[in-house]
Amino acid sequence: MARAGGITNAVNVGIAVQADWENREFISHISLNVRRLFDFLVQFEATTKSKLAALNEKLDILERRLELLEVQVSTASANPSLFNT
Amino acid sequence: MAVPIEEAMAALSTFSLEDDQPEIQGTAVWVSSEAGATSSPIEYSDVSAYRLSLSEDTKALNQLNTLIQEGKEMSSIIYTYRSCVKALPQLPDSMKHSQADLYLETYQVLDLEMSRLREIQRWQSSASSKLAADMQRFSRPERRINGPTITHLWSMLKLLDVLVQLDHLKNAKASIPNDFSWYKRTFTQVSVQWQDIDSLREELDDLQIFLSTRWAILLNLHVEMFRVNNVEDILQVLIVFAVESLELDFALLFQERHILLRVLPILVVFATSSEKDSESLYKRVKINRLINIFKNDPVIPAFPDLHLSPAAILKELSSYFPKFSSQTRLLTLPAPHELPPREALDYQRHYLIINHIGAIRVEHDDFSIRFASAVNQLLLLKSTEGADVEWCKEIKGCVYDMVVEGLQLLSRWTSRVWEQCAWKFSRPCKEFPPLETSESPTSFSDYEKVVRYNYSTEERKALVELVSYIKSVGSMMQRWDTLIADALWETIHAEVQDFIQNTLAAMLKTTFRKKKDLSRILSDMRTLSADWMANTSKPDSELQSLQSGGEESRATFFQPRPVAPTAAQVHCLQFLIYEVVSGGNLRKPGGLFGNSGSEIPMNDMKQLETFFYKLSFFLHIMDYTETLGNLTDLGFLWFREFYLESSRVIQFPVECSLPWMLIDQILESPNAGLLESILIPFDIYNDSAQQALTVLKQRFLYDEIEAEVDHCFDIFVSRLCDIAFTYYKSWAANELLDPSFLFALDNGEKFSVLPMRFTALLKMTRVKLLGRTVDLRSLISERMNKVFRENLEFLFDRFESQDLCAAVELEKLVEILKHTHELLSKELLIDSFSLMMNEMLENISLVSYSSRLASQIWSEMQNDFLPNFILCNTTQRFVRSSKMPLAPVQKPSVPYAKPNFYCGSQDLNSAHQSFARLYSGFFGIPHMFAIVKLLGQRSLPWLIRALLDHISNKVTTLEPMISGLQEALPKSIGLLPFDGGVAGCVRLINEQLNWGNKSELKAEVLSGIKEIGSVLYWIGLLDIVLREVDTAHFMQTAPWLGLVPGVDGQILQSQEGGVSPIVNLFRSATAAIISNPGSPNPASFQTMAKQAEAADLLYKANINTGSVLEYALAFTSAALDKYCSKWSGAPKTGFVDITTSRDFYRIYSGLQVGYLEESARLQPSYEVLGDSIAWGGCTIIYLLGQQLHFELFDFSYQVLNVAEVEAASMTHKSPHTSQGWEVLLEAMKKARRLNNHVFSMLKARCPLEDKVACAIKQSGAPLHRIKFENTVSAFETLPQKGA
Repeated sequence: MARAGGITNAVNVGIAVQADWENREFISHISLNVRRLFDFLVQFEATTKSKLAALNEKLDILERRLELLEVQVSTASANPSLFNT
Repeated sequence: MAVPIEEAMAALSTFSLEDDQPEIQGTAVWVSSEAGATSSPIEYSDVSAYRLSLSEDTKALNQLNTLIQEGKEMSSIIYTYRSCVKALPQLPDSMKHSQADLYLETYQVLDLEMSRLREIQRWQSSASSKLAADMQRFSRPERRINGPTITHLWSMLKLLDVLVQLDHLKNAKASIPNDFSWYKRTFTQVSVQWQDIDSLREELDDLQIFLSTRWAILLNLHVEMFRVNNVEDILQVLIVFAVESLELDFALLFQERHILLRVLPILVVFATSSEKDSESLYKRVKINRLINIFKNDPVIPAFPDLHLSPAAILKELSSYFPKFSSQTRLLTLPAPHELPPREALDYQRHYLIINHIGAIRVEHDDFSIRFASAVNQLLLLKSTEGADVEWCKEIKGCVYDMVVEGLQLLSRWTSRVWEQCAWKFSRPCKEFPPLETSESPTSFSDYEKVVRYNYSTEERKALVELVSYIKSVGSMMQRWDTLIADALWETIHAEVQDFIQNTLAAMLKTTFRKKKDLSRILSDMRTLSADWMANTSKPDSELQSLQSGGEESRATFFQPRPVAPTAAQVHCLQFLIYEVVSGGNLRKPGGLFGNSGSEIPMNDMKQLETFFYKLSFFLHIMDYTETLGNLTDLGFLWFREFYLESSRVIQFPVECSLPWMLIDQILESPNAGLLESILIPFDIYNDSAQQALTVLKQRFLYDEIEAEVDHCFDIFVSRLCDIAFTYYKSWAANELLDPSFLFALDNGEKFSVLPMRFTALLKMTRVKLLGRTVDLRSLISERMNKVFRENLEFLFDRFESQDLCAAVELEKLVEILKHTHELLSKELLIDSFSLMMNEMLENISLVSYSSRLASQIWSEMQNDFLPNFILCNTTQRFVRSSKMPLAPVQKPSVPYAKPNFYCGSQDLNSAHQSFARLYSGFFGIPHMFAIVKLLGQRSLPWLIRALLDHISNKVTTLEPMISGLQEALPKSIGLLPFDGGVAGCVRLINEQLNWGNKSELKAEVLSGIKEIGSVLYWIGLLDIVLREVDTAHFMQTAPWLGLVPGVDGQILQSQEGGVSPIVNLFRSATAAIISNPGSPNPASFQTMAKQAEAADLLYKANINTGSVLEYALAFTSAALDKYCSKWSGAPKTGFVDITTSRDFYRIYSGLQVGYLEESARLQPSYEVLGDSIAWGGCTIIYLLGQQLHFELFDFSYQVLNVAEVEAASMTHKSPHTSQGWEVLLEAMKKARRLNNHVFSMLKARCPLEDKVACAIKQSGAPLHRIKFENTVSAFETLPQKGA
């Protein structure tokens, strides 16, 4: 049984453990905030993507409209005589 | 140091991260910073710092962990092994001479694979011996080293599990021995030239024995273990540990539970097969407990498509372990395929998700609400400053509780999915659905039997639901990861500290005071994990800690610290608790905690036990994202390596793939509830791809998954679009059904459309698919744009294959499509309907006014309508002549289309069709409305112009025929004599009007006149419709333009100053806005005011349009001008020409008598021409100014006059004189009525100019230059009564 209660230098270990808790508080604080930064970036990417998608959608519509207008103009300018009379 | 970070984070939170995409997919990728605390990231190298003399244990532990890692890789190699032999080419006869080369090549290929197997063989023997050595070392009763720790026990169990799985897999994979024997054959062929092949051969033989022996690994392990006869103790400890953990089932996630279940039968076999006291096991663990465990789980998942059954394993191993074969109670357990039907049914009830889905649904709903509320509370707490500490602790504790509950729920649910799969694999389907093809059930592959036909519709639905619950809870918990992380740490910290500083202190003071050994262990526990400083920061807590030295054991207060203990700390604490409880003695009888003979009081024991199991769960919580990832990973549903091999195919068709089956299920029976989960099965693909790359590490599997996903996603998108389109179409068609019709209907509900929620799906701009992001929304809108165009195209095609009467139907269908577009546009951005319509009408060009539809209508009129339709003046309808078609028409056949190109569902189709059928037999006002609506203002004028040209063409073509007829007229025809009576008149007419040789022209002229009449009447209908449309339009715009109708149909401007109300309104609004300095954008209001002025001008110009009919009459009149001289010759004498006139009216009169007679003779003849002949003839007569001539000299009129006189004079003599002529007379009367009607209409719509003519006074003197009202030159020389 003596094997188990084996902390040989209990006081020193206790002090070290205490210091460890404090150091780890700092570490976890930093790491958590780094993770939050990552999280932010991930979310930022996601929302930006959907905003871009919305923009793209509108551009698509406009593009098609423009194409249509171009075709219309070209039909009109193909025979200008119609407009001269 | 902390401030800048906080500030930075606060600054970030000012960004708007709003996103309108709904969360209907699981999480795909996340950033995970915990390197997996469950297994220490630094391999427990920090354990030594706690000076517990655990270095030996730690070393052994790490060794085992490395072996576990290697073993997992080995099993994935075997699992994904695919037979090479199958791919070997056969040499054709012509190349037999190079057989040796082929052998060499084959040998080289196979050698690579076999070297892997050799490696596995080597590895397993070294792993077995290491595991055995480890067990022996740590189970010596007189051991000098600390251990084994709990973590160490777990590692032993896990390694054992890996070995069991490897063995199981080796037994199951038939292709490996197959390939090997081929390899051996090539080896003998190839190695002929080699020297010194004995060692190689020996090695091969070894490998062959290893591969062909069942359970070779376990047998080997058994031999290794029992080399020294003292492993029984540790085996018993492992069994006790496994049994207790399984029975408690608190701290276990499903993977660990499955490990224990898989290992337990092996452990039992090993423990009872030892030389000495095989029964000692049952002293510690009652056999009933074991049987219970085995009975509860008759099948245990091992690999995605491979399961284990404890009963079967026990039975099989009993033949290898003679000692064990005496354990009859364990051996009589039925294997899953031997279960008696009733028990099988019980198990089925337990395994099938469908029987639990109700409870799961409740759990899910309840949990999501409570989790969300806990998170909200936490958010609230974070935004409050100086919150009460107790409140803080409570909320954080609540979050912690929710996380624990969530992880347990997920674990339970996912294990249900695993277990249902295992159950299904163990019980292949025996009844097959009736198939349309004549396949016999034997032709089904095994995989189809266990997967494709083994899940009923309801079961698939339940599975989808459960999977979506797992994924949605997972992603919900994942989303708040960084928010709740510190709350979790804080709670764990508080729990640990509370136990260490309070509970243990209390224990030390009371129970353990006298027990030196035990209390030393307890104080060690305090030393290695207590955070004393955490309670010094607050003065009152300091006070308390001072007091805690006293007798009263008051709970110490801790300042919370958001730091969780390390894996090493948990490891040590668990070890120490175990030491306290077991006294460091492996042979201690009884279980771990349920120990009656212990010196520790029950109460303390209970506390220790609770804390012990809590500690093991802390690890999962500290590993938050990792644990969530494991628990929500459903990738296994795709894998089927084992069945692929046994079915000897390269890959199964996509219909057999479970994820696709789930998607297919949702698509097949669109169910409002499940529709939003439709993307969830794609997460299964994501998971499987992830597994293929990171766990199985096989590129080809990923490629297969990718190919399947690409294929499935394409099908999915197109079918989803189809469903969405059908849904919106039916919805629109339903809304456009007549409500009174629906109300009167008994079964009206069959037309109603069940609501479905596409909103969420249509918002998905980022669908995560194998690491790609797919913009589903844009894909759908792209397809929708196409579908709408295709639909329009189809409708026009359909119209082109029908006659003009289908215009109403076409208009209705276009209307439905337009409404569909309107409804869908609320969710999706698609091209405007008018644009698509113009595009499909080929009406884009600015300089062309015809359109596809207009030209179709025109050609239809030319080819079919005008020649084949006859007018009925009374009903104002044209109907198809019942005679054989005069002009045969060639039409394309009606194109086929799915019901969603009509009105959506079949029922709605038939409803709308029955409406459309009402209009399909005639052409009238409704059709005209439809045409006006379809063509619009753009193409209508084109059509009118075409029709008018048609009239003038007709007139031109008629001209030579008319002159031909003029020639055929007899030189002179006098007035009909009264003395012959009706019969005499008719005879006279027949004699005189035989048209000579020109009689064949008669019919042509008649039909020409009829067509002109039809066109004019058609335009008349158009005029009516346009009037109505214009009036409606006027009613709408008039109030805005400030117009009021005057007394005589004139339109007056109501406003003074000439400014219409709309312009006024916008001007004043703009003025008001501009005068307000705070207005954000005054320029836009100015633009709006300008636009109002423009609108005013535009709309005013459109008011008071002319009449189409009047224009058409004028046009016809102008067309006739050319022939005026020919068709109405001026009398040479200056008097009205009675006998020799060859004017048009004369011709027409003759023709009219002709066809009247004909129609009197054979009834149907009349139907060839209809009423439009009168319209055509009378219009021409009227426009030529011959109306009065016609009315005076028309033959039929004269006959009628004669008949009248005859009737009046002969009533008293014999009423039967004119007998036989009634029909003719009736027809003549009818014709006269009709002609009068036409003339009166013409007078009203087309008043002719007053003409100057000369008249003759009653005295006989001519009177020159008299103005006659509304007449032409009819009275030129006739006496006028009033004159």
